[in-house]
Amino acid sequence: MIATETIPVQGGHGRWAALAIAALGVLVLTMALAVSTGEISVPFGVIAKTLGNKIFGTAYTLDPIQEGIIWNYRLSRTVVAACAGAALALSGTILQALLRNPLAEPYVLGISAGASTGAVAIVILGFGGGLLTLSGGAFLGALGAFGLVALLASGSGGGTDRVVLSGIAGSQLFNALTAYIVTTSANAEQARGVMFWLLGSLSGANWADVGIAAPTALIGALLCLFYARALDAFAFGADAAASLGIPVQRVRIVLFALTAAMTAVMVSLVGSIGFVGLVVPHAMRFVVGPNHDRLLPASAVAGAVFMVLADIVSRIIVPQQVVPIGVVTALVGAPSFAVILTRAKRTERGRVA
Amino acid sequence: MKRLSLTLAALVAACFPSSAWAEDTTYPLTLENCGRSITFEKAPNRIVSIGQSNTEILLSLGLAEKMVGTGVWFSPVMKEFEAENAKIPRLADNDPSFESVVQQKPDFFTAQYEWHIGPNGSVGTRDQFADLKIPTYIAPADCVAKDNSGGGDGVRLQMFTMDLIYQEILDLARIFDVNDRGEALVAKLKQRETAAIATASGAAGKNVTMAFWFSSPKIPGDSYIAGINGGAGYIMHILGAKDIIDLKDEWPLVSWERVTSANPTVLVIAEMSRRRYPADSAEAKRAFLKTDAVASQMEAVQKNRIITIDAQAMDPGIRTIEGVEQVAQGLKAFGLAY
Amino acid sequence: MSISIRDAVWKAGGTLILDGVTIDVPAGQVLGLLGPNGSGKSSLLRLICGLRPLAGGVIQLDGRDISDLSRRDLAQRLALVEQQAATDMPMTVLDVVQLGRTPHRGALAAWARHDEDAVAAALRATDMWEKRKQAWRTLSGGERQRVQIARALAQEPTELLLDEPTNHLDIRHQLDLLGLLRRLPVTSVVALHDMNLAAAFCDRLVVLQNGRVAAAGTVAEVLTPDLIADVFGVTARISYPARADRPQIAFLP
Repeated sequence: MIATETIPVQGGHGRWAALAIAALGVLVLTMALAVSTGEISVPFGVIAKTLGNKIFGTAYTLDPIQEGIIWNYRLSRTVVAACAGAALALSGTILQALLRNPLAEPYVLGISAGASTGAVAIVILGFGGGLLTLSGGAFLGALGAFGLVALLASGSGGGTDRVVLSGIAGSQLFNALTAYIVTTSANAEQARGVMFWLLGSLSGANWADVGIAAPTALIGALLCLFYARALDAFAFGADAAASLGIPVQRVRIVLFALTAAMTAVMVSLVGSIGFVGLVVPHAMRFVVGPNHDRLLPASAVAGAVFMVLADIVSRIIVPQQVVPIGVVTALVGAPSFAVILTRAKRTERGRVA
Repeated sequence: MKRLSLTLAALVAACFPSSAWAEDTTYPLTLENCGRSITFEKAPNRIVSIGQSNTEILLSLGLAEKMVGTGVWFSPVMKEFEAENAKIPRLADNDPSFESVVQQKPDFFTAQYEWHIGPNGSVGTRDQFADLKIPTYIAPADCVAKDNSGGGDGVRLQMFTMDLIYQEILDLARIFDVNDRGEALVAKLKQRETAAIATASGAAGKNVTMAFWFSSPKIPGDSYIAGINGGAGYIMHILGAKDIIDLKDEWPLVSWERVTSANPTVLVIAEMSRRRYPADSAEAKRAFLKTDAVASQMEAVQKNRIITIDAQAMDPGIRTIEGVEQVAQGLKAFGLAY
Repeated sequence: MSISIRDAVWKAGGTLILDGVTIDVPAGQVLGLLGPNGSGKSSLLRLICGLRPLAGGVIQLDGRDISDLSRRDLAQRLALVEQQAATDMPMTVLDVVQLGRTPHRGALAAWARHDEDAVAAALRATDMWEKRKQAWRTLSGGERQRVQIARALAQEPTELLLDEPTNHLDIRHQLDLLGLLRRLPVTSVVALHDMNLAAAFCDRLVVLQNGRVAAAGTVAEVLTPDLIADVFGVTARISYPARADRPQIAFLP
C-alpha cells in the first residue's frame, strides 16, 4: 500500500512562476497598446515621454493637452478597464463554482439588471433629487436586486437551481422596470444616453474612478484567493464540500457578498458589460485546470486583458464613434462560448457503464 | 399695341405692392408641409403647440388667446411672453400623451420635432390626428433635408438656415390670417441677424474654431457637441467660425479626447432648465472645464473664452437669432472681431 | 465506542424519516447497514457526518457530541462517500482525489509531501493509479465510484461512511473494496443492498425498517429467514458453507 512513485503534483514551481510573469507581461503590453490607440493619434515618442514624466519623474516638455490625453484620459481608462475585467472575471469564477452552473455569472444574480434600474431611476425619474449620482443609484440598485434574489432563493430552500432561477426572475423583473422607465419617461436623447450606459461605457473614466476600481479589484482578488480551497471543494456540491470540512453557509455568504459588491462597484462605474464573467473562467479552466489557486489569478489577469482589448476595439472599430463596450464583449463572447462548448464535447471520449 | 399693354402692365404692377406683401389669406387654404397637404377651412381657434420654438413663434404672432395647450420646454419662455404663457395650460414639460392633447379639443397641432408626430411619433402620428380632423404642422427646420429615420436627434443633410424658420413664421401667419404680423416678425429677425453679423465682422479672418456643448449623459464622459449643419452650425457659419468636428449629426456624442486635441478658440455651452443629466446645468459644465486635468488646459478655458447661451438658441428655432447675437457679442468681447 | 448514535430522530419536510435510532459502532469494525429503499440508510449516514441537524437524539464520536465539533474537525475524522457524485468541472482523477486532503490543509498551506503520499496510497488502494490523469467526465460509473472512495481514503479518516459503494462495481472490485475496508484500521459504516456481501465482510449488521432499527448484532444473529421475510418481503434460505459465523443467503422465488 505504500506509494512507490510520488506524484509531482506541485512540482514545476518554476514553470508556473514563468507563466505568471508571462501573463502579467501580456497584460502590461495590452495596456500599453490601449494607451497608444485612440481616435486622436499621438506619436509614440510623446507617449513614452509622458510615461517617463509621470512615472519616472523625467522633465520633458510636452504639449499639456497631449500629455493629459495619454495620462488622464487613456491610462486611467485602461486601468479602470483592467480592474473591471479582473473583478467581473473573478465574480464569474466564484459563481460558477458556488452555483455549480457553467452559465453562472454576475448577471445571473440580477446584479447588473438592478444596477441599470437604479441608474435610470436617477437619470430619468430624477430620484434622489440630485443628491444621488448615477453611479450611486447603480450601486444601490445592484445591492437591492441581489437582496431580492437572495430572498427569493432562500424562501425555497436555497439550492443551486433555485438560486439560478431566482436570479433569472430578478433580472427579468429589473430589466422590465428599466424598459418601463425608459419608454414611458425618456425622450429619444435620454434613451440614447442611457442605452450607452446600459451597454457599458468607459468614457469619462479618470483617476478618481481608479481610486475606487483598483482597491476593489485587489481586495477582491486577495479575498478570493483565501477561499480557493473552499471553492475547489464545491465541485461535487454543497454536501460534499461540507463533508470536506468547509463551513458551507459562511463561505457562501462571504463569497456571494463579495461577488455582489465587486460587481455592483464595477457596474456602477462602467455600466453593464456582459460575457466577461461567463467566458473568461471557462477559457482559463482549459489553460490552467480547475484548481482555484491557479484559476482565480488566471481569470483575473485574463479578464483584465480581455476588457482592455475590448475597449481598444470599441474605440477604433467605427471611425469617429465609440461602440458600447458591452456590444464588443458580446460579439466576442458569444462565439467564444460556442467554441468552448464544442471543445468540451469533443474531448469527451468516454463511455459510461 | 403690344408695347402699350406691356407698359400699362408694368405701371399697374408698380402701383400695387408685390403679391408676397401682407395679403389677406383666402380660405380654404391648402399648404404643403413636410410631405403632407394640410387644408384649413378657416383660421383655427384652438392650438396645441408641442415644441418651444413653434410655441414662441405663435406667441410672437400674437396668437396667445388661441392656444389651449403646450408641451416640450427646455427653458423658461421668452421674457416678453411670460404673462400670456402663464395662462396657457402646460400639458407636459416633456412629451404629453395623445389623450392629453386631444382632451383640449384642438383644431390645430404644431410640432417642433418630427419625432413627436412622425411615423414613430411619441405623441401620436399625423394620421392619428388627421383621423380626428386635426391638421398637423411640423417645423420645416426638422424635415427639410433632414434624416430622422435613425432615431435620436437625426442627421441634417444640408445646413440649417434661418430661411426655414422664416418659412414657418410665414406659413403660420398665413394659416391664421395675420400675414402682416408675420412679415414684420421676419423683417425684425433679419435685421437683428444683420446687426449681429456686423458686430462680429472679421472673425472669419481670425481662424476662429468653436465647439458648442449641449450636455452629456455622464460627466465626465462623452458629450453632445454640435454637428456642422444644425442651429449651432448655422451660427458658426454666418459668423465665419469653424466647427471642430466634421459630422452631419445634429448632436453626436464626442469624446473629450477629440475636443481637447482640437483645442477650439471659443467654447459655447448651453444653459437650460431641464435637469435630467447633471451636465444639463451650465455651472456643471463650467466646473468640469475648470477642474478636469486635460480640459482645463484648453486655450478657451485658460483664456476664459466661454460663452453661455440658452439651449434653445443652439437648436433651429426662433431663438437661433438670440444665439447669433450672443455669440457675436462674445467674439467681439474676446477681441476676435474687428 | 467509535460512533455512538442515541435515539436519533430526523424529519425531512415534515415526514419522519428516522424515528429513534440507536446504534453503537465499535472502533475498527465494519458495520453493515441494510434495509429496503426509504428505510433511512442514506439519511442516517448524512446525520453521522453532520450534514443535517438532528431533530432529536445525540450522535457522538469517541464520546464527543458531533454538534460540538467544528466542520473541519469532523471532516478530519469522518469521510463520506455518497451514492452519486456529479460535477461539471473538467477535473481529472487526480484533482478529485486531491480534494480529500482539503480538511487537513489550511487556506494558505502549501502542498506537502505527506499530502502526495496520502493521495498516492488512496489511488493505489482503489486501483486507479494508472488512470490518475484521466478526465472524470470519461470514467465509467464504477470507476467514478472508486475515485470517490479514493478521495475518501485520501482524507485519512478514522471513520469511513459509505452509501452503497458497490452499486456500480464489477465483482472483482466489489470484493477488493470490502476486503480493503476490513483491512484498514478505520471504523466503517457501509450501507449495502447485497446481503451476501454484507454477510461476508461485515463484523456487525444493523437492519433499518421505516426509520427504526429492526435488528442489530452479529451477522449470524441478524440474518435470519424470519427477519428477511419481515423486512424485505422475500423468502430466503440460510446456510453456512464456509464458516460458522458467515451465512450465505439464497433467495427463493
